[in-house]
Amino acid sequence: MKWIYTALIVTVLSVAHVIAQDLFVTIPTLPTKNPLEGNADAITAGMGAYRVRCADCHGMDARGVRSPDITQVWAKGRTDDALFRTIRNGVPGTEMPAFAAPRTSDVDIWRILAYLKTLAAPAPTGLARGNATTGQNVFAANCIACHRVGEHGGTLGPDLSRIGAARAREAIARQIRGNVADFRTGYEPVTLTTPNGQEIRGVKKNEDLFSVQIMDTGERIQGYLREDMRTVTNEKQSAMPAFAADRLSDADLDDLLAYLTSLQGANGENPAGGGR
Amino acid sequence: MYRLVVRLMLVGLGPAILAASLLAQGAPPPLVTPQELLDGLKPDGAHWLVFGGGYENHRHSPLTQITPENVGRLVPQWVFQTDTPARFETTPLLRDNVLYVTGPLNLAWAIDARTGREIWRYRRELPPTGSLTACCGLVNKGFGVLGDRLFMTTLDAHLLALDMKTGAVAWDVTLEDYRKGYASTIAPLVVKDKVIVGVAGGEYGIRGFIDAYDAKTGKQAWRFYTIPGPGEPGNDTWAGDSWQRGGAGVWVTGAYDPALNLLYYGIGNPGPDYHSESRKGDNLYSDSIVALDADTGKLRWHYQFTPHDLHDWDATEVPVLADLTIAGQPRKVVMFANRNGFYYTLDRTDGKLIVAKPFVITTWAKEVGPDGRPVLLPGHVPDEKGALTCPDVTGATNFWPPSYDPAQRLFFVNAREVCATYYAWRQEYVPGERFTGGAAQRARGADMRAYGALRAIDPTTGERRWEFEYISPSTSGLLSTASGLIFSGDAEGNFLAIDARSGKFLWRFQMGSALHGTSAITYMLDGRQHVLVPTGTTLTSWALSDVPREKPFTN
Repeated sequence: MKWIYTALIVTVLSVAHVIAQDLFVTIPTLPTKNPLEGNADAITAGMGAYRVRCADCHGMDARGVRSPDITQVWAKGRTDDALFRTIRNGVPGTEMPAFAAPRTSDVDIWRILAYLKTLAAPAPTGLARGNATTGQNVFAANCIACHRVGEHGGTLGPDLSRIGAARAREAIARQIRGNVADFRTGYEPVTLTTPNGQEIRGVKKNEDLFSVQIMDTGERIQGYLREDMRTVTNEKQSAMPAFAADRLSDADLDDLLAYLTSLQGANGENPAGGGR
Repeated sequence: MYRLVVRLMLVGLGPAILAASLLAQGAPPPLVTPQELLDGLKPDGAHWLVFGGGYENHRHSPLTQITPENVGRLVPQWVFQTDTPARFETTPLLRDNVLYVTGPLNLAWAIDARTGREIWRYRRELPPTGSLTACCGLVNKGFGVLGDRLFMTTLDAHLLALDMKTGAVAWDVTLEDYRKGYASTIAPLVVKDKVIVGVAGGEYGIRGFIDAYDAKTGKQAWRFYTIPGPGEPGNDTWAGDSWQRGGAGVWVTGAYDPALNLLYYGIGNPGPDYHSESRKGDNLYSDSIVALDADTGKLRWHYQFTPHDLHDWDATEVPVLADLTIAGQPRKVVMFANRNGFYYTLDRTDGKLIVAKPFVITTWAKEVGPDGRPVLLPGHVPDEKGALTCPDVTGATNFWPPSYDPAQRLFFVNAREVCATYYAWRQEYVPGERFTGGAAQRARGADMRAYGALRAIDPTTGERRWEFEYISPSTSGLLSTASGLIFSGDAEGNFLAIDARSGKFLWRFQMGSALHGTSAITYMLDGRQHVLVPTGTTLTSWALSDVPREKPFTN
């Protein structure tokens, strides 16, 4: 009888062994430290990959264009594995996409981080300008009709609940002052003119050869056939007014920026390992 | 005497009665013959048995029931759903009122063309997630057929023969080890008794090839390596040992000329894709068209569109054959709209260049010289800093099939006007890993409009006859008909009918997903012309609302 138990144990153990091997294959453990840090080939490859995939938003020097300055991430205490997961999983609620396998391999991500590390800078030492509490009032007076933070605000412009995680301070300032040429997808300004000359202004949510889908300035979402319109015109000026210094003082802008950069989302930071 | 008459009548009528009763019971149709494949698309519209309609890849149907005047009366007959997350890039086949369709993720179906109901379904188990290397989607481009068998390539680089009646596997051969970066998505071309296939993997350091297998047994008949080995002519066009991992995949179905007994296949990009120093030389036969003897696989001639390509411009577009009169001379030609921005007409008997003309904005070459080589312009070698070049990496066109109208002598192609910044750097080769030595990024900005257009090209001159513009680049293949229609699609999901004589818009339907990488097909069924459209995860069958169906049985 004893051999039956022995056989059973052997079977259970080998099944467990197979399962464990399978787990090990499909969920490899992530190193806490970048295995390619300082590797010259990896840095070169990482530079190319960074320029193709990241520089559009974060800038060729990684000091931020639309998206945040990422030269100071280590100085601010982020670890290699946390940064790895940010690239792999993206930042929910922002334009930062997930770079999924197999299109982006683990090695690809480590190479990008190896390159970024060569650009790493110390944390800024200057005093932060502006008062966020005052800035919230500036926001309520000037911005909330079109922009939402949390539960409150309009929907014609982008939701700003996580804008502090998504945008560099300077990028937000440029946007407010009206010095930005391009538009975020889904917010391109458009004017439709009906056959009787009535104008419908709004932002473009979608379009094809035959139709255009918009949110108009009254926040009505609606699709229109091009053949029903006299003209459909893509505007050059943003639907958002420019807030020049005569409309918003430098001090008010500093307060507003202090408030907006404090908007980092519910948990402040991207939940590591989020997603599937 | 009377008895004799009765007996004679019985002898004469017997077989006829027997035949009639067998037909009523649904006797199996005769096996698919090589002659049927040679016939291509016939005026009765009863079948579609070859990837491009016929071996010449015209995708031009002789059917005329649907016209520019009545196309607005097309109504859907049924919709078939794959219930998978991945999309169709397949060309369905039709025979005896049954559709044979390959799908993504190694799936395949036989579908009742009358109702869209599944008859059988085949699924090959995929290797573990992450181990497949098909660079650009877990797709498949369609079946080949002969006898009572269908032939299908797989993502793990096998070739299968399936029983047409059941979907059961008749034989299964390994093309190459998928763990080394090989995959296969190509629709097999059946020529005489052989099944012709190729492998993908140009981004994974493979050594590409075209294979022929015996249709009955699956035994390999020949192999043509798209990169010559040591001692073979052309091996010296690869510096050092770079030929060993030079890519040059074959993932788009070629053409066949039965009179010359030649196969024509476009060959993929050299690897690593972007880094010049890693593979000095012309890198034959990457980015070339090759003409192979269909019986032996021996190379008859080649023409390289893009010597030493640095922009991932695979010549994996569909070659189209026609007989034209050029400068007063009858010419047997192969037409080729290339990813590199040029449209080519070549003599298909010897590969000599007849016409080469850009069909989109092309900045890397001034022209193609009389010797057949592009005259390069400076500043288009990618490096770490990046170089701006038109067209972009997806190219002026790509694997989505063009069509050719022999009556108008016009070549139709969905073209892209997009530029890109190309980067390159040295990369170590690791078996089974992506091996591109760089990357490319689509150029954006106010002065960098990216759009697409359906263009009609005169193959005797390369001149554009007309165009139909899309708001963004389309990746749809084309189907044209003798009644003067072109069926196309745009990136926004519209299925479109365009006037083949003028390029004017005629009709549209929003399918909810783009027609991508393949085209509609058309055929006759119960007296009505049907158009079958693979978009996203659906097949949709269309016919005219006001044409009554002819019942297959009479009282």
